[in-house]
Amino acid sequence: MKLQDIDVAVIGAGPAGMAAAIRAREAGAENVIIMERAEELGGLLHQCVHNGFGLLYFNEDLTGPEYGNRFIEKVMDTGVKPLLETMVVKLTEDRQIGAVNAKEGFITFRPKSVVLAMGCRERSRGALNIPGSRPSGVLTAGTAQRFVNVEGFLPGKRIVILGSGDIGMIMARRLTLEGAKVEAVVEILPYIGGLIRNEVQCLHDFDIPLYLQHTVTQIHGEERVTAVTIAKVDADRNPVPGTQRKIQCDSLLLSAGLIPENELSLMAGIRLDPVTGGAVVDETRQTNIAGVFAGGNVLHVHDLVDNVSWESELAGESAAKFAMERDLGEKGTINLKAGTNIRYIVPQTISGQRDTTLYMRVNEPQENVRIKIGDIMTKTVRAVKPSEMIKIELSSEKLQKVNKETKEIIVSCEKRGGK
Amino acid sequence: MAKKETFICIGCPLGCEVTLTIDEKGKILGFAGNKCKEGEKYVFEEYTNPVRILTATVLTQNSAQPLLAVRTSKPILKTMLAQGAAVLARTKVKPPVRVGDIIVPNLLDTGVDVVASANLSS
Ligand code: SF4
Repeated sequence: MKLQDIDVAVIGAGPAGMAAAIRAREAGAENVIIMERAEELGGLLHQCVHNGFGLLYFNEDLTGPEYGNRFIEKVMDTGVKPLLETMVVKLTEDRQIGAVNAKEGFITFRPKSVVLAMGCRERSRGALNIPGSRPSGVLTAGTAQRFVNVEGFLPGKRIVILGSGDIGMIMARRLTLEGAKVEAVVEILPYIGGLIRNEVQCLHDFDIPLYLQHTVTQIHGEERVTAVTIAKVDADRNPVPGTQRKIQCDSLLLSAGLIPENELSLMAGIRLDPVTGGAVVDETRQTNIAGVFAGGNVLHVHDLVDNVSWESELAGESAAKFAMERDLGEKGTINLKAGTNIRYIVPQTISGQRDTTLYMRVNEPQENVRIKIGDIMTKTVRAVKPSEMIKIELSSEKLQKVNKETKEIIVSCEKRGGK
Repeated sequence: MAKKETFICIGCPLGCEVTLTIDEKGKILGFAGNKCKEGEKYVFEEYTNPVRILTATVLTQNSAQPLLAVRTSKPILKTMLAQGAAVLARTKVKPPVRVGDIIVPNLLDTGVDVVASANLSS
């Protein structure tokens, strides 16, 4: 395959990139490549040795490596060409890609379409602003996960975890089973940041204390962490005087959220949504640059890998279609606007002509709600939480109700009345 | 004397706190706090047979990869997780290994095998 002939170039070979590349081939694109800076396909799935993957996609309870393996095999079977140990360093608004690797040095080419599948990274300590010295023993939950599950050593023996994201809770269980003592999981919000099944199966199962509405106010230690001070916080998230307590520990793990990795997108002039941190897309997952698509955690942080795969397949299929036909038909002209208790909606715009799945998250937990998509449809839901993504199917039939002139549809989540 | 035990249902994002009333023989007398029938089913399972899949890594020999990811092929009792992990901490494997290969047969007489979650080459 010559670089000049590439139909679809996928950037990133995690679950999103693999799903996009496979689907692009299946949808008829001839020359599909997947560019990955690591030495193998699969992305972070290799270090996620826990189960809970694929419950929706495969109807099976798989571990991360197993889930990844099924896609790796399919990448090979479908004839996608992986370009490993290759780092994409440049993307321009006319779809020029610049990349470097040890064999060829700097390469540059212009594929017919591009899928962004760079995933996300963890919010680090700098982004969290904890006072105290800078001893060793402070690391993100994902880094700890790589140490324990890939490299084979424990980051510490007595651990405090700040933030109750899924990786943090999963690492609490993993470290406990590996013989460390997890002294506390500390969450600033009044509810956990991850999935409820992880609270039960990772914390409760092992009697790991969870401190809600608490935060770490100080890190102690010179060379190495020796303790942290935690305190209760008020409604404005300020520490409440007199509630401090010191917890002896040798490590502090940070599990306080993920950020889509969009440096390349910014370089190309792709418009980002300030709330999701990912590109603004329509229902084909096309960005504001024609022929550039995005899917998975680079677009918005998902709760389940199954949704990452599905969304990226959509991006891959659209990319293949664009590569072959140079046109995707109706563009997204209707803006979906977040109303009451909706934090964001992806896609941000729709054409109103195709069946569409809307992914959204709420701001606050709420029970017994009705989610309204303008006056097109409503869906009643028993409970919503910021940590759990909501998925709503919008059929093109329902969308026929939308007037041709419509420029905006408000999506809102409201308490069900009359009760 | 009836006893009470609480569980959090993981059936949906609501996460109901369900209180189970149990008589002195361990028989279930009633459920409270669950907002739907799913909650009773979940709590019944969690009370009578709480099982989980155990996932871990084992050390490798003769491979560039220091660890291999493994799992139990089926869920085991959650009270066995720590003991199971201790067995795996002492287990070593050599390449080649393919996903699904049995690493520890019949872990702690549970009737469940520990299998490889990933491939291992030398
Ligand atoms: S009992 Fe029903 S409503 Fe409550 S958490 Fe379980 S599934 Fe959800």
